[in-house]
Amino acid sequence: MVPLMSERLRTSLGPLTLANPFVNASGTYGYGVEYASFVDVARLGGVSVKGISLLPRPGNSPPRTCETSAGMLNSIGLANIGIDVFLAETLPQLRELGVTVIVNTFATSIEDFVELAARFDNETGIAALELNISCPNVHAGGMHFGVSGAAAAEVTGAVRAVTDLPLMVKLSPEAGDIGEVARGVESAGADMISMINTIRGMVIDVDRRRPMLGQKMGGMSGPAIKPLGVRMVYEVFQQVSIPIIGMGGIASLRDALEYLMAGATAVQVGTANYSEPGISLRLADELEAWCSERDLTVTDLVGCAQGD
Amino acid sequence: MKYLHTRITEVTYPARDHALLRFAAAAEDIPAVPGEFVMIRGDWGCHPVLPRAFSLVESGAHGAVLVKAIGPGTQLLESMKVDDELVVFGALGKGYRIDDSGLRPVLVAGGVGVAPLLFLARELAARGQRPLFLYGAGTEHDLPLADEIAEVAELIITTEDGSVGEQGLITAPLQRALQDGADSIVYTCGPNGMLKAVAGVSQSHNTPCQVALEAPMACGMGTCKGCAVPIPDGSFKYVCYDGPVFDAEVIYGAADE
Repeated sequence: MVPLMSERLRTSLGPLTLANPFVNASGTYGYGVEYASFVDVARLGGVSVKGISLLPRPGNSPPRTCETSAGMLNSIGLANIGIDVFLAETLPQLRELGVTVIVNTFATSIEDFVELAARFDNETGIAALELNISCPNVHAGGMHFGVSGAAAAEVTGAVRAVTDLPLMVKLSPEAGDIGEVARGVESAGADMISMINTIRGMVIDVDRRRPMLGQKMGGMSGPAIKPLGVRMVYEVFQQVSIPIIGMGGIASLRDALEYLMAGATAVQVGTANYSEPGISLRLADELEAWCSERDLTVTDLVGCAQGD
Repeated sequence: MKYLHTRITEVTYPARDHALLRFAAAAEDIPAVPGEFVMIRGDWGCHPVLPRAFSLVESGAHGAVLVKAIGPGTQLLESMKVDDELVVFGALGKGYRIDDSGLRPVLVAGGVGVAPLLFLARELAARGQRPLFLYGAGTEHDLPLADEIAEVAELIITTEDGSVGEQGLITAPLQRALQDGADSIVYTCGPNGMLKAVAGVSQSHNTPCQVALEAPMACGMGTCKGCAVPIPDGSFKYVCYDGPVFDAEVIYGAADE
């Protein structure tokens, strides 16, 4: 059992300190409260909640998910309850449970991102704000903020101006130059970067001779994309000085260690939550044991694979 | 709601390509009503990544699920042996709401959709009822658990190729049953096309009908929003937590629409 504050596992991301480096990724763990009856959600490093928009969103036409080799596609379309219900009903439950809450938020315009951030800024019980500028599953907006350094910097700067919350920006692997986007959000005042969001893929139903998903394409996640995520964290680590939360296909201790050694200060676990909703706590326990055997801390590991 | 790292305690093969897996429920029983389901995954590495949803055939000190080997995940499950590890969470979703107003229960199963309905038939038998059980399949090899059904229900089988039972679709004996005048309630589970046809026949006889749906699912508990089904008013229902059992008119609309 990981104590709530293990010295070995505690990890510092600028203004945000996590008790352990395992955060459950947005879109794969609901609002966290759904798991509280059988997972000790307060012991998680954090929960990044399902992306919140100004208005509730019903989501895309089904089918919305299908499996791929060692992974899956989703085209959920950011179905969510909207900020009003989240603040009135969900956030109080999260506060009561003692969850380290990272509010993932999504909009299709800078004005809406700013309005969301300003409203979250007034609330207690939010550890950090994560801007989703990289969702591949909505037609308007979404990913276009995340594929150019200038656009990413503009939205980050506008949000930075209205909130003092620790600010995390989630990057897309579809940027032509993810380092440029990372530098852009750093220069605009982001406190940290989370990466990578899903990358678009397609599965064809050969019987129907049509794409399997209702939206034809979906965001690919799971172990199949891990080498892509590790490579990108390794590259971005060399180009920014703000901390990185690495994600993409983490399903074992070794996967998490790869991200830390590439340069991540914390990690997010996504698709693996579906097969094992308590996996992040198990991995935290395994990381504690691994570090203890070697008399290391998480901080010792960050970026240790860099260099010749 | 339970979350178990458990082991398979018994495997039987009730039909070709089908396995009935029993697993221990650990310290507390798994409470469930017929129609509720569990998410199951074996210890097989990172492919396939997602667990699979199965209606419970039994609950209590043991859970049991009926697996038909179709894709990679179900093939792996169908080949599992006693003592193999399973991650199980459940019971999940909303099951059949069993009528207690005296309607005659008519259970309509298609293929592997038999699983929750055998559970329901046994539940009804425990209440002293002997339901009518209509069981359809393509051929004689796709009728698992028919003997178990016959112990607790009046069983009528149809096959499309006529290899056993009546030749044709399950809607034919359903038409006859609902024409005989007794006030009935239909509980059904099976392929989507069959469910819609069964709901239509029920509706034409003003008979209430509850359908158990299936959809691709990742989380099983309402968080991923993957298992959406569109309903007539243009909104979505989620199979895993609004269902999997729905009143048929919620999914297909009322008669006058």
